[in-house]
Amino acid sequence: MTRITRRTTLQMTAAALAMPAIIRPAWAADTVKLGCLFSSSGTMANLEGRLNYVARMAAEEINASGGVLGRQVEIVVTNPASDWPTYAQMGRQLLQEQKVAALLGCWTSVSRKSVLPVVEQNNGLLFYPLHFEGEENSKNVVYMNSPPSSSVLPAVDYLMGPDGVGAKRFFMLGSDYVWPRTINKILKGYWTTKGIAPAAWREEYVPFGFSNFQNLVNQIRSFTSAGGGQPIVVLTVVGSSIPDFLREYTNQGLKPTDIPVLGLDMVEADLEGLNTTGLVGTLNCWAYLQNAPGPRNQKFLADWAAYVKKSGAPFSGTTVIDPMVSTYDSVRMWALAAQKAGSFDVPQVRGAFAGLTFDDPSGYTLSMNADNNYVARGVFIGSVNDKQGFDVLWQSKGTPKPVPFSPYS
Amino acid sequence: MIGGAAASLRICRLGLVIWGALMCLVLSGGRADAAAYDRARLIGQLCSAEASDVLHGLNGMLAEAPGGSLADGRWALGVAQAFSAKALRCGPDGHGFLALPSGEVDAVSLAPAAAPADSRAPLPSLRARRVLEQVDAALRVFVAAKAADRLDAVRTLARHSEGVPANLAQTALAGEHDPEVARALRAWLVEAGLHAPDVAARLAAIAALGGDARAQTANQLMSLRADPAYAADPRVAAALDAAIAHVRFWLRIGDALSLLYNGLSAGSVLFMSAAGLAIIFGLMGVINLAQGEFIMIGAYVTFSVQQTLGAFAPSWIAWYPLVAVPVVFLLTGAVGVVVEVAVIRHLYRRPLMTLLATWAISLLLINLVRVTFGTQNLQFRTPPYLTGGVRVVGDFLVTWNHLFAIGFALLAFAATQALLRLTDLGLFIRAVTQNRAMAGCVGVSTRRIDMAAFGFGAGLAGLGGLALSPIYNVNPTMGTGFIIDSFMVVVLGGVGSLFGTALAALGIGLVNVGIEPFYGAVAAKVIALLMIILLIQWRPEGLIPALGRR
Repeated sequence: MTRITRRTTLQMTAAALAMPAIIRPAWAADTVKLGCLFSSSGTMANLEGRLNYVARMAAEEINASGGVLGRQVEIVVTNPASDWPTYAQMGRQLLQEQKVAALLGCWTSVSRKSVLPVVEQNNGLLFYPLHFEGEENSKNVVYMNSPPSSSVLPAVDYLMGPDGVGAKRFFMLGSDYVWPRTINKILKGYWTTKGIAPAAWREEYVPFGFSNFQNLVNQIRSFTSAGGGQPIVVLTVVGSSIPDFLREYTNQGLKPTDIPVLGLDMVEADLEGLNTTGLVGTLNCWAYLQNAPGPRNQKFLADWAAYVKKSGAPFSGTTVIDPMVSTYDSVRMWALAAQKAGSFDVPQVRGAFAGLTFDDPSGYTLSMNADNNYVARGVFIGSVNDKQGFDVLWQSKGTPKPVPFSPYS
Repeated sequence: MIGGAAASLRICRLGLVIWGALMCLVLSGGRADAAAYDRARLIGQLCSAEASDVLHGLNGMLAEAPGGSLADGRWALGVAQAFSAKALRCGPDGHGFLALPSGEVDAVSLAPAAAPADSRAPLPSLRARRVLEQVDAALRVFVAAKAADRLDAVRTLARHSEGVPANLAQTALAGEHDPEVARALRAWLVEAGLHAPDVAARLAAIAALGGDARAQTANQLMSLRADPAYAADPRVAAALDAAIAHVRFWLRIGDALSLLYNGLSAGSVLFMSAAGLAIIFGLMGVINLAQGEFIMIGAYVTFSVQQTLGAFAPSWIAWYPLVAVPVVFLLTGAVGVVVEVAVIRHLYRRPLMTLLATWAISLLLINLVRVTFGTQNLQFRTPPYLTGGVRVVGDFLVTWNHLFAIGFALLAFAATQALLRLTDLGLFIRAVTQNRAMAGCVGVSTRRIDMAAFGFGAGLAGLGGLALSPIYNVNPTMGTGFIIDSFMVVVLGGVGSLFGTALAALGIGLVNVGIEPFYGAVAAKVIALLMIILLIQWRPEGLIPALGRR
C-alpha cells in the first residue's frame, strides 16, 4: 500500500479535476479536433488560461465560414495545472485517445521541452505561440513566434543605438530555467562580437515565483551608479515575478530614465494591478502589441471583446496580448495548411507549410518557408504607458527571416 | 581618522556656504530681457520625424530655460508636459497642436484650434524622455508656484545635471524667495563647482560630495582621483582621499544595514504568513492546507474595504489599510469559523481526512474568488505613506511598504502573545492544546475553544494578507505560494510555540537574504533549506519545543 503523501494527494486531485475535460465524448464524426495544452490553474493560469478561449474564438470563426474541408473544428481543452510533466501526459492523451489533428500549447520553454518527445514519438503537430530562445527545430513543432534573432536582438540593438539610449552596460535578471539562460548566453555572445567586455554585464537568476526583489534592486542601483556608460536591465523573469520586480523597482525610486528595463516576457496582463505612472518608458518586445496600428487589429480587439461578453470568459475583454494573437494565428494557419493539403494528416499538413501566408492582426503578413517550421513575423518594441498598456515605440519595416540556431550562442 | 575627516568636512561645508552666498551676490541679475522663444521653430523640431531633430529641439528648450520670460517658461512647460503625455499632435504640414483636457489648441499661440484628422501623436523616445524630464524640471524651477514643486525640480536636476545650462542654478537662485529651495540650489551650485578652475571651489565641492555618501559620488570622486589634472594639487588630492575614505565607510555601513533591513522585512513577511498557521497547526494540530487562502481572503477583504471607502468616503481612502484591520480580522475569522464548524470539527481524529478536506476547501475558495473577482491582479491604491522611502545612510533606503510589514508583524506578534498569555481565552486554548480531555473535565468547553482558536488563526492569516497587499500581487492563487513556507516556519520554530515561529521566520528571512548577494537567490534558497534540515536534525522538536505532554 502506497502512503498517502501531500504530493500524491495533489496529483490525484489534479488528475481527478482534469478528468471531465479529457473524457468529453467524441460524438460528432464530422468534426476535426484541435487539442489545447494551456493551464487554467497554478502559476501560469492567469496568462495561459485566456489562450483556451482565443483558440475557441478562432475555431468559431472558421466554423462560421464553413469549417475546414467541410468539417467543423472542435477545440479540446485540458488543464496541465502549470506542472511541466503534466503537459507531456495531457499531450499524449490528446494525441492517442482524442486523436486530435494538432496541438496548440505551452507557454514556458520547459513545458515545451517536456511535450517535445511526445509529439515526436506520436508524429503529432504542436503549435507553440510564444517567442522563445530558439536553438530547436523539430519537424513536429510549428514555432509560431519569434526566435531571438527576430525579437530580442533587434530590441537590444535599438537600445544600444542612437535612437535608444546608447546602452553600454547590461544587468541581466532572469528566472532560473532554460529560456532566460539561453537568451542571456546569446546576448553575451552578441555583445562579445560588438566588442563589449564581460566586465560590462552582470547576470543574476532567481527561482520560479520569486517575489522578494529588495536585494536585487539594491544591486541594480549600485550597478547603475558604478559609471562606465548607460546601463540597462534585460529582464527575463517570468510570471508573478514581473509585477513584483517592477513594484520594488519603482518603490526604491528607480526610473526608466535612469536605467531602462527591457522586459522580454512582459505583457499587458503583467501590468494589471500596478500603478504604471512611474514605469512609463519601460520596454518590451513582441511580434504583436495591443496598440498595433491597422484595421485588422481593430477588428480583432472588437471580436475578442464581443467573445468575452458572449462566452463569459473570466478574463478582461479589453486586454489582448501577443500569445493570444499567436494562438489565434496558429488555428488559422493550421486551417489554411489543412485546406491547402486537402487532408488532416500531419505529413500532408506539414508539406503544405512552405509558402503559406496569413494576414494577422499585427498588421504584418506572416509567412512560412520550406527550410524550417518557423514563422516570419514583424517586430514591435513597446513602451509602457500610464494606462497599463504599451505604446508602439518602434516596429520593423518587414518580417525578418527567422534564424532557428543563433550564431551567437 | 574618521573623526578628523568629519570635522574637516564640517569646516569645509561652512566655507562653501559662504562661498555660495558670495557667488550669488556677484551673479545676481539674470533672467530678464532675453530674446523670446522661437516657438514655431521649436514645435517644428518636436514634430519632426527625425529623432535627432526632436532631441535638438528639446536640448534647445533646456538651454533656453533660464533665459526666457515667465510667459515663455509657462508655454514651454505646457508643451513639454503635453509631449511627454502624448498630447502633442503634429499635422502633416509640421504644424503642432496640443490636445489638452479643455480641448485642442494651437501649440504656438495656444488659441483654440482643431488638429487635422490625419495628424500624428509622436511618442517620445527613451532618450527624448530623459531630456524631457530635465526640461520639465528646469522650467518648473522658474515657473512652478509651489515651493515644494520647485524643490522637487531642483533635486531632479541635481541628479541629472548633464546638459543643464551652467547659469541655471545661479539665475534661479537670484529669483528664489523660499529658503529651502534656495538652500537646495546653493548645495547644487557647490557640487557643480567640482570642475571649477578655482581650487577653493573644487575643495568645497569635494567636501560636499564627500558628505553625501552614495555609490555614485564614490565613483565620481574616484574618477577625479585618477585624473592627473585634479590629483596634481596636493590639497585637492588629500581632500579627495579623505572624501573617498569617508564615502566608502558609510557606503559599507549602508550596505550592511540594507541587508539587515531586507532580512528583517523578509522575516516579517514570513511571520505574517505563518502566524495564523502557528495557532491552527502549531497549537491545534490541524494540517490546514487552506491557510494560504485565508491570507488571500484577507487581501481581498482589504481590497473591498478600499473600494467601499473609495465609493462612500473618498477622504478616508488613504487610510484604508488601517480601517481594514478590524474588518479583515473579523471577516476572515468568520470564514475560519464557518470552515471549522462545517468541516474541520468532524475530522479532528482523522488528520489525513483533514488534509484532503482542507485541500478541497482551498480549491473551493480559490475558485469562488476567481468567479467573483476574476483572475487578474487587483490594483491597490497604495497610499503615499506606503510608497517610496527615505535614504538613511549610504545607499541604504528605508522603504515604507516594507517598514509597514515589519511594524505590522511586530504588532501582530505582541497582540497574539498577549492574547495567549494574558486572557482567559488564551489560557483555555493552551489548556486544550496541552490536554484536551483534562481541560474538558475541568469545565472548559473544548468545542467552543476549538472554534474560537480556529477563527483567531484564520483572522490572523487574513491580517497577513492585509500586510502583504502593498508588497505582493493579489490574485486568487496568491495563497498557494505561502503554504510551504508557512509550514516550514512553524515546524522549524517548534510546533506549539508562537515565539518559536517568530524566531524561525526572522532566522529564515535573514539567512535567505544574507546569502543572496554572495551566491545568488537560487543558491540562497537551497542553502537555507539545507540549514533548516540540519537544524531539525539537531533539534527535532524545533527551535523552541512546546512544553507539556503530547
